[in-house]
Amino acid sequence: MGLRKELSVPGHYDQIRRLCAFVGEGAREAGFDDDAVFQVELACDEACTNIIEHTYEGEGVGEIQVTWQINTDLFTVIIRDYGPRFDPSGIPSPAVPPDLEDIEELPVGGLGVFFMRRLMDKVTFDYHQGKGNVLTMVKRRTQDEELP
Amino acid sequence: MIRHHALSGDLWLITVDGRLDQNVTPDLEETFNELFEAGHTKLIVDLSGATYINSGGLRCLVAAWRRARQHGGDVYLCGLRSRVNEVFSMVGFDKVFKVYPGRAEATAAWQEAV
Repeated sequence: MGLRKELSVPGHYDQIRRLCAFVGEGAREAGFDDDAVFQVELACDEACTNIIEHTYEGEGVGEIQVTWQINTDLFTVIIRDYGPRFDPSGIPSPAVPPDLEDIEELPVGGLGVFFMRRLMDKVTFDYHQGKGNVLTMVKRRTQDEELP
Repeated sequence: MIRHHALSGDLWLITVDGRLDQNVTPDLEETFNELFEAGHTKLIVDLSGATYINSGGLRCLVAAWRRARQHGGDVYLCGLRSRVNEVFSMVGFDKVFKVYPGRAEATAAWQEAV
């Protein structure tokens, strides 16, 4: 197992910057450039915002635990909450690119999950009955690595 | 940090500095509400000081853009840094907003539009 660090914070919006900085630090440690660090931080931000908004449905309801891990080829971020099941299929997918013929009706829901999937190489959502959700996001450290 | 002031005529400028995330977006929302309630719908948002934006920041801007247009105005953007621009273009919002390099170009575009 490679280098691994963990941080738990209360589920408040003002804690998300701290979590992003923590994950950004890991991404730098993994050798990512500033652009990739930005992408990892944004994916983490969207994930944690979703937990407060959709899983806990408010601030101060539960904790968020973030773990990052560096392996030979992969950088992995694991984000846990202790709320009810988060079902990403229940979140509408945004129209990307938006329909410019009908932009007055531009839908803006689901952008968070869209960004997470777009910015990371693999994103999986798991629910452990009674224990909460585990979101795993993986980014390749090298472009030629195949993800299972 | 969010600041706003009147430019020429009925045109207003909002400047965003730092990270436009869940800590700051409520202030931006409040600024938009304040301006709309006072009847100001012709707006420029200067993002040259914004180092970061997330989906909540984008949603706030789109909601303001929609509301401004419903009342005969618009929200022009200017000064997007490359990473902020990357977030806009990932979801195609760079094609939705009128985006200008700087405040001068955005102001000139408004003067031509009215």
